[in-house]
Amino acid sequence: MSGNAIIVDGCDTLPKLFLKKSAERGDRIAMREKDFGIWQSYSWNDYRARAFDIAYGLLSYGLQRGDVVSIQSEDCREWLWTDVGAMLAGGVVNGIYPTYQPRQVEHALADSNCRFLFVEDEEQLDKYLEIERELPKIERVYVFDWRGLRGFEHAKVAPIEDLYALGQAYGREHEGLIDEIVAQGCGDDLAILIYTSGTTGMPKGAMLSQRYIIFQLQAAPDYIRQTETDEILTYLPLCHLAERAFSGWLPIGTGATINFAESPETIARDLQELSPTYIFGVPRVWEKFYSRITTAMSEATWIGRKAYSVALAVGMRRAEKLIAGEAVSLFDRFAYGIADRVVFRNIKKVLGIDRAHSAASGAAPISPSLLKWFLAIGLAIDELWGQTEIGIVTICRKGVFRFGTVGPAIPGTEVRIDDNGEIVARSVGQFDGYLNLPDKTAETIVNGWVRTGDVGHLDEEGNLSITDRLKDIIITAGGKNITPSVMENELKFSPFISDAVVIGDKRKFLTCLIMIDQENVEHYAQTHSIPFTDYRSLCARPEIIELIGSEVGRVNADFSNAEQVKQFRLIDVLLTAEDEELTPTMKLKRSFVTLKYSDLIDSMYAG
Amino acid sequence: MTTPLLELRNVETYYGPIMAIRGVSLRVDEGEIVAVLGANGAGKTTLLKTATGALDCRKGRVLFEGREIQCRDPDWVARLGIAHVPEGREVFPFLTVSENLAMGAYNRHDREGVAVDLETVYGYFPALCGLQDKMAGYLSGGQQQMLAIGRGFMARPKLLMLDEPSLGLSPVLVAEIFDIITRLNREQGLTILLVEQNANVALNVSMRGYVMEVGGMVMDGTSEWLEQSEDIKEFYLGKKDEGVRGRRRWKKRKTWR
Repeated sequence: MSGNAIIVDGCDTLPKLFLKKSAERGDRIAMREKDFGIWQSYSWNDYRARAFDIAYGLLSYGLQRGDVVSIQSEDCREWLWTDVGAMLAGGVVNGIYPTYQPRQVEHALADSNCRFLFVEDEEQLDKYLEIERELPKIERVYVFDWRGLRGFEHAKVAPIEDLYALGQAYGREHEGLIDEIVAQGCGDDLAILIYTSGTTGMPKGAMLSQRYIIFQLQAAPDYIRQTETDEILTYLPLCHLAERAFSGWLPIGTGATINFAESPETIARDLQELSPTYIFGVPRVWEKFYSRITTAMSEATWIGRKAYSVALAVGMRRAEKLIAGEAVSLFDRFAYGIADRVVFRNIKKVLGIDRAHSAASGAAPISPSLLKWFLAIGLAIDELWGQTEIGIVTICRKGVFRFGTVGPAIPGTEVRIDDNGEIVARSVGQFDGYLNLPDKTAETIVNGWVRTGDVGHLDEEGNLSITDRLKDIIITAGGKNITPSVMENELKFSPFISDAVVIGDKRKFLTCLIMIDQENVEHYAQTHSIPFTDYRSLCARPEIIELIGSEVGRVNADFSNAEQVKQFRLIDVLLTAEDEELTPTMKLKRSFVTLKYSDLIDSMYAG
Repeated sequence: MTTPLLELRNVETYYGPIMAIRGVSLRVDEGEIVAVLGANGAGKTTLLKTATGALDCRKGRVLFEGREIQCRDPDWVARLGIAHVPEGREVFPFLTVSENLAMGAYNRHDREGVAVDLETVYGYFPALCGLQDKMAGYLSGGQQQMLAIGRGFMARPKLLMLDEPSLGLSPVLVAEIFDIITRLNREQGLTILLVEQNANVALNVSMRGYVMEVGGMVMDGTSEWLEQSEDIKEFYLGKKDEGVRGRRRWKKRKTWR
């Protein structure tokens, strides 16, 4: 494959691009992170210096090209410094979710043959110490945040500052070594490992080459219009492909400034404070925005509500014109201008999306009604679709609105529907297979095409629509094929429903497990004087079950009889990212949930 | 379901613009000891003060024997049969012990009954015998706490609300006072709502418990069940798993289940 060199700015690997771009940008701000509540800036020079320290430090320990360096941390500046540093030294980076339990961490470290481990803090370090004996191949462990570890002695563990010092000393003795190593690198080099959340069995380590990364960068600029004046917020796990691409790789290419969210709990506040100009969000984030506004509106004064509904009607009219591709009349433009000034601008300010010139949604399907609402208030969200195995496959084009589709394929990527309805795709930038799993690799890459596991169809314009995961398609006892995600997405559009799993394979009718949106349902209970104590008792309140029932009924109305959900149950445990029921991006895992709550499911089919 | 003795439904109380308790619901049935646990500033005291009318709530209802009592004057509420033993004892320092107890019976007019109950109080709190004429301000902390509980009992309430009776007392005195609380409940049939930071003793004497955090309820259940909960063990009972290094500074995320 080395014949098709993929190049951005004359560079065929990310380290080469980093060396070039960071030197050009010098003292420009590369990233910001809060320290004790105050934003601190780090320039491209700082970024480069730290990455060099880490690279030289690892080289001093004899890191060889292809050795694996793992990072087990929440998003932070050191995450990216280590990411780039390890790659500069020729290493392969493996990101591990900080929400993983020790057993899952062990698999990711052992399977990848990891030599060097970087952990965020005391808590993450303890996970390693628990499984230390199982992992003799790990040589050094560095801790980003040494607080709480004073006096702790361990032959392999040290604070990251030690590595910086070591790297600086080694760098003085071996000046130019990194430039040499980087120059020897090529697109075929393995760059990173991403362990994909296995719903069955252990996660599989997808191998992504330098070419994969550079391919993403060179395919993107026409559609992902990020420039060096852009501000982005980093809040999804960097172990996930989407955030890695948006906050790790893209800014190296474009020079946009990265801002780290303070914690996963403070995203709303961070957004408001920062108002990024380019926003990438998963559907859950967009759903949350929408439900915040709907809840606020239900509490607003009569005038406020009236103004909102009038403005929204104006916005929807304009949105419909835009979707149909018709010109928006002068009158509509004028009316929209007023609606924007009086209502929408304030909404966008509250959410922190008022400066955004572009927004994208991906990593999960999003409800078309939600996209339309955002377009109505003046934020066009481009839906994109991608997978770890192949990267971004399709993205909606600016100014063209085909809600319900994920847009046409990006240049250089081919998409086709296989005979069984499965979407297959290929590009020179696709992944190199799963680490240590030749059988799984052969199952996924067939004749050079990557089987995506999704079913869907292409329209005459080449826009792809995703129907569902192939293995999630439900065939009811009546023999009808049902794609659960369509119903699930409409359910999630309700402010009271956070996630839903539709069940019914080989069953007489469809049922559904629902996870409520705690904040909004609590708010509802409060305003309607429904007494409750904790989450469990809230889920047990008949009024709440009735409320969710009416939401289900509303969604059911748009579906034919066989596609309707006949029964539902609420999951009465408040799930967190640490729980195995959820993926790290907080989606319910269908297979795990159906197994764990089988009693609850059976109760819906009883009698 | 029988009508609970005391019920709070979605109560919201503010201190100026600050919401101190946000939508709290709770019930106390007759004959029970119910504990409310929580750290400083969780809103436990505010909860009691809202129930007695010392604070007015902005939203929600407080029902005593099925009757709405929120936002009424405290003396009116007290006359219905709710006695409040406040945090930090708050005995009348310049009154004698017997005068303090008499203040508890201020609303009562059955002289014989009062005399009998006075004997009962001295029976439960022998430490107060012989101190009848001593000024309450001169008593020790433990004696003052006993006096405060005794004063509450003298009103012959249907519900006795105790706000942190263990505050500032030695473990021996805490054990003694909680023993008496249990006896008051068993022998006198007194219903007790107990607010405590000392989760260990509170869960021991109570039948059911609630856990409050930053103004809201996060958990409720029978006391035995709460004692078994991992979160309660770690955050309230201090039974913490020391981890692999033998010392652990980080805390697990609370899940309240």
